[in-house]
Amino acid sequence: MSEENKFEPKIVAFLCNWCTYAGADLAGTGRKQYQANVRVIKLPCTGGIDPLFLIKAFERGADGILVSGCHPGDCHYNSGNYHARRRWNVFRPLLEFCGINPERIQFSWVSAAEGGKWVETINGVIDSIRALGPFEGYQKINTMGPMVSSESANQ
Amino acid sequence: MIEALRKKAEELLRSKTVDVIYGYGEGSTPERTRPVFITKPEDVNKLTWNKYCVYNLTTYLKRQEARKLGKPAIVVKGCDAKTIIVLIKESQIKREDVYILGVTCNGVGEPQATKCKACDIHTPRIYDELIGEKIENKEISFEERYAEIEEYEKLSEKDKWEFWQKQFAKCIKCYACSSICPLCFCDRCIVDKNQPQWIDPSAHPRGNLSWNVTRAYHLAGRCINCEECQRVCPADIPLNLLNKKLAKETEKNFKYRAGYNIDDELAMATYKEDDNQDFIK
Amino acid sequence: MEKTLKKEKFNSLITGLKDQGYKTIAPKKDSNLVMLDEVQSADEIHLDHVQTNNSIKEFFLPKTEKILSYRIEKNKVSMEEPEGFAVKTVVFGSRPCDAASLPIMDKVFNWDCTDKFWVQRREATTIVTIACDKCDNYCFCTSVGLAPDSKEGSDVLLTKVSDDEYLVETVTEKGEKLVESLGTVFTPADNPGTETLNRQVATVENKFEIEKVKPWLDENFVHKVWAEFSTKCIGCGACTFVCPTCHCFDIVDECTMSKGDRVKNWDGCQFKMFTLHTSGHNPRSTQDQRWRQRIMHKFKYYVEKFDSILCVGCGRCSRVCPADMNISEMLEIIATEESQPVNKE
Repeated sequence: MSEENKFEPKIVAFLCNWCTYAGADLAGTGRKQYQANVRVIKLPCTGGIDPLFLIKAFERGADGILVSGCHPGDCHYNSGNYHARRRWNVFRPLLEFCGINPERIQFSWVSAAEGGKWVETINGVIDSIRALGPFEGYQKINTMGPMVSSESANQ
Repeated sequence: MIEALRKKAEELLRSKTVDVIYGYGEGSTPERTRPVFITKPEDVNKLTWNKYCVYNLTTYLKRQEARKLGKPAIVVKGCDAKTIIVLIKESQIKREDVYILGVTCNGVGEPQATKCKACDIHTPRIYDELIGEKIENKEISFEERYAEIEEYEKLSEKDKWEFWQKQFAKCIKCYACSSICPLCFCDRCIVDKNQPQWIDPSAHPRGNLSWNVTRAYHLAGRCINCEECQRVCPADIPLNLLNKKLAKETEKNFKYRAGYNIDDELAMATYKEDDNQDFIK
Repeated sequence: MEKTLKKEKFNSLITGLKDQGYKTIAPKKDSNLVMLDEVQSADEIHLDHVQTNNSIKEFFLPKTEKILSYRIEKNKVSMEEPEGFAVKTVVFGSRPCDAASLPIMDKVFNWDCTDKFWVQRREATTIVTIACDKCDNYCFCTSVGLAPDSKEGSDVLLTKVSDDEYLVETVTEKGEKLVESLGTVFTPADNPGTETLNRQVATVENKFEIEKVKPWLDENFVHKVWAEFSTKCIGCGACTFVCPTCHCFDIVDECTMSKGDRVKNWDGCQFKMFTLHTSGHNPRSTQDQRWRQRIMHKFKYYVEKFDSILCVGCGRCSRVCPADMNISEMLEIIATEESQPVNKE
């Protein structure tokens, strides 16, 4: 593959406002470099992340997703991350059961002080998705096809 | 057993303990039964009980048309009775809102429904009156209970994806799966919310994947494995495999089985500080 | 000259169609279902069934279909309309009830505006029907004026005359052309005169007198039987989606900020949301009203507007109903029920 055709993954990161987002900010102020493949979406709490957000990200062309929030015990709202953790515990295996590689949805706890961990985590996610390649399965079902009959688009 | 059922039903209606009996009646063919709503004591002979009584009649607790008939007594099998426990826990009904006519059951369907193959609830765990000889509820191992999904778990990532894409492609978005589900009781389903449109209502591969995954996920830690979604699917999609997978994960991670114990906290409405987090960096 | 089609010629039939550029739809076994679907070879064709689980309508009115694409640019909107959606097709082995649904629906799709998707696909498609040699309890075509060997809507009708032979009757010019174009696939019948052939056609019991249905419906918009019959209805859309004559659809935009597709999807009158107004008011707020609508539309409104019953008696809705609501049973009740309006509001 030539240099300009090299696959660059699209990563969507859903970050908690109180910790990981601030952590990523800290990495920025500390002038720490990380790969530019990530689009960050800031949310008040990981507890407010509906799994549909993650499905939507795939529908819109994400190759991989990172969800990151406060360490257990540190939630700004006391228990949001605990509830989130429960959900991921069942949602992740469900997607895996449907044939979605669990590597494509990753989770982490990164606090506001952990600029270094943020860089390490997001670089890790990007590298692993780059290794997996584009999420072709989902991209294929993302479109209704070109402007011809639905029948021939299916072929 | 049918006689005992009819007698009890008549008594309940005569004494005005309840206004209506949700039960099983004869269906279009001998291999089918249908839900019947008996409001007059003289009609109790329309009630029946046989191996074709597959329906989970508790779904009518969410239907305003049935609720209009007044306080119900519901004929429930062991599996169906679990729904009532979940509905009470989720504050959808109060225990005193329903009279539970529990029936003991040795399996339904011809051929026998998959749910019956690893049944550990022949006798309901909750009832006001039990019809039929008590059958001992034998313990069934975790492995045996979820044996059905094992072969699918073993598939490669690619095969899993292809299998489910093929299944979901058949979906016609008739929503029979969620309409029949006694625990899909939202007044307005997420798929009907269109500002923003989270789930495409179209029956194309994208909309079918997000719908079927979301339907199953919304039952995580709640599904009591009555298998009604799968039974009613006109496209024959094995929907209960998804429900079962979620039930397995819920039990494995949180030691919780929906509808088994009225004192258990709902799995998805609570947490433990030491919940599994092996997968979180 | 009478012709027959021998089972052993199915292969050359499918190949012949392929050579002429036809896409072939035929009944196909798919685990527990028999579905009308595209076939590549004769081995895939499955004929040992009463009725396919899906109806023929999806080849003219697909469950989901893009009707235009748009892109919002700086000061303008550019649109693109679909082309090439009408593919030369032969539907082989559909049932006479399915075929009969097509001319009924032609009326509505050619009514106040011409639905090009329907009309062009109809033109591009030839229907080769196989008369039913068996039926089940749910079939009631004879009660709605059809028969297991009706020719309505078919271009060619095949009737089983022995285990491996079908009598071929061309119904339309289109059918005649197709039969002609396939040449030796069809064999001249050994015996001239169809009366000597043993036509194997199912006997479908007449369940109710259709003449009594509309007069009753005219009188009984308000009647207790609507609610009594439909308490068990769970409000899903299975009946309408498997129905060959239910044709309601919804149009949605699936879009991002700058571009999108306008999509036509099946919709059904049994859904609570179907008639919900933006204001929150719902003129059909209960299931008995929605059930009444389904019956009224099929046996009264459509008859008044288009002079056809919007039902072909295929029985799919009853087979598939999660709560065993049986439409022919409802019609039997209607045809025998005294006209007793109650609580006229």
